[in-house]
Amino acid sequence: MSFVDYVAGNFEIISFLLLQHLQVVLLAVGLATAISVGVAIGTERSPRARSALLAVSGTILTIPSFALFGLLIPVFGLGVAPTILALTVYAIFPILRNTVTGLEHVDSAVIDAARGMGMSSGRLLRIVRLPLAWPVILNGIRVATIMTVAIAAIGAAVRGPGLGELIFRGLARMGGANALNETLSGVVAIVAVALLLDVLFVLIGKITTPRGLHA
Amino acid sequence: MPEQFHPGTGAQSDVEISLREVSKRYPASDADAVRPLSIDIARGEFLVLVGPSGCGKTTTLRMINRLVEPSGGEIWVDGKNTAHVDPDELRRHIGYVIQQVGLLPHLSIGENVGLVPKMLDWSKERIRQRVDELLDLVGLDPDTYRSRYPKQLSGGQQQRVGVARALAADPPVMLMDEPFGAIDPITRGHLQDEFLKLQARIRKTIVFVTHDIDEALRLGDRIAIFDEDARLAQLDTPLAILTSPADEFVRSFIGDGAAIRRLSLLRVGDLPAVPETSTGTGIEVDPGETVSAVLEKILAAGLDSAVVRGRGSLTVQDMLLATAARDESAVAS
Ligand SMILES: Nc1ncnc2c1ncn2[C@@H]1O[C@H](COP(=O)(O)OP(=O)(O)O)[C@@H](O)[C@H]1O
Ligand SMILES: [Mg+2]
Repeated sequence: MSFVDYVAGNFEIISFLLLQHLQVVLLAVGLATAISVGVAIGTERSPRARSALLAVSGTILTIPSFALFGLLIPVFGLGVAPTILALTVYAIFPILRNTVTGLEHVDSAVIDAARGMGMSSGRLLRIVRLPLAWPVILNGIRVATIMTVAIAAIGAAVRGPGLGELIFRGLARMGGANALNETLSGVVAIVAVALLLDVLFVLIGKITTPRGLHA
Repeated sequence: MPEQFHPGTGAQSDVEISLREVSKRYPASDADAVRPLSIDIARGEFLVLVGPSGCGKTTTLRMINRLVEPSGGEIWVDGKNTAHVDPDELRRHIGYVIQQVGLLPHLSIGENVGLVPKMLDWSKERIRQRVDELLDLVGLDPDTYRSRYPKQLSGGQQQRVGVARALAADPPVMLMDEPFGAIDPITRGHLQDEFLKLQARIRKTIVFVTHDIDEALRLGDRIAIFDEDARLAQLDTPLAILTSPADEFVRSFIGDGAAIRRLSLLRVGDLPAVPETSTGTGIEVDPGETVSAVLEKILAAGLDSAVVRGRGSLTVQDMLLATAARDESAVAS
């Protein structure tokens, strides 16, 4: 059976897993964004806590994903929960780092002028600093998302949802009928998801970057 | 509890801003950035702080709107001790203009100008009208500029917007930190002229920082000159500073040409004129024009005298001698 025939014949299951994959990634990245932006804002007055948390989240990124998923099994068992948890933890570093950088690099003259006209620190954050840091933050989210799409495949090792299932199943019975096609379909689908999301982020960036920053 | 700050309701004195033994020493520094300083600034006065870099001008200015907290002394604005006013509330009633302008790049020109009124909860319609009025006031056509973004404007235009933004809620006090310092010399000259005309109409109490003595002489009603050690060397009118510099530092800070510069500060109306004779060969000028402007006109016209409206006639020599005479009398006194 050719690869195209295989995909056509298994379209339903592949697209189901693809959608699942997408959901897991978006959920994890959504959680990671909320946590990262929260941490970045919450640690503004405690630079030590901030660099400690940045260091920790950076270190987590160096743990091989297979090992991290394995370590989570005793605590969270198999399935969706450990997958999402691990992905969230991985996604934090790029987003946190970019949020911190973005907020720190807002033009100090703009902040000075805004404070000088009597803007409270809350309003300053809401209408000046976050909007101006947004393109940098969004880029962090994009990097985290693409990274998470790839790592999510490993989740299948702990019976997690998504396209990893096709890859692992195919690999497990390599040499069997359509085993290669099955693995390949998982890989191709993951690449497709990554590309799709990348394009999506370019669009989101275009739409959400304040107009005056393009000019 | 911080007092509410309502400008214009303070004690009906002529003093708008009062610095009382104000000083600042930054942490981890062993010298005062601002030495105990006392100045009363009158309502509607244009006070310039001038001096070499690092002499504490910016720090002094920023203590007035509490962007920097004083280490000692008190600052009173409109009859209230600023230490007891909520800082954000205080700042909403004090215009603040800085060299880098600091327009919010993601907001339109109109939104930038309307920021303080918005924080003061003005209605949309009132803000819209005020924004247009202010853009007009600073010489920018509202229909053209209202919806543009800061990046689409030149440096000079951006600073006009900066001034409009600071004036938005009609604050009685304006603090300006080298506002024209980053602008090319020709545009700077225009902006200074326009700003003087504007000030003649709106009569704000202005504290203006510059390191440029010429700008200080041109703009200030009074000038405070500081030396490198943050010492107040002289506080006086431009004419008095040119005529009788307090010490060697002031003399060297003014540089050469004090006598010539004085010509652009003296007004022909202040000079003794010869009651008008029938031989009115000179051109007619207003008493409010400066001696240098009148000299320029006379020389350009190839004449040797001018008729000051309602006063009499002045020859080139009269003007030069009278200027010199004022010099001597001022020095003698
Ligand atoms: N935030 C700060 N922390 C420590 N020192 C400062 C700070 N701001 C200014 N200084 C110091 O205070 C002195 C006066 O600075 P400043 O008021 O900016 O002078 P100017 O505006 O006249 O150039 C300088 O020696 C400067 O280095
Ligand atoms: Mg300065």
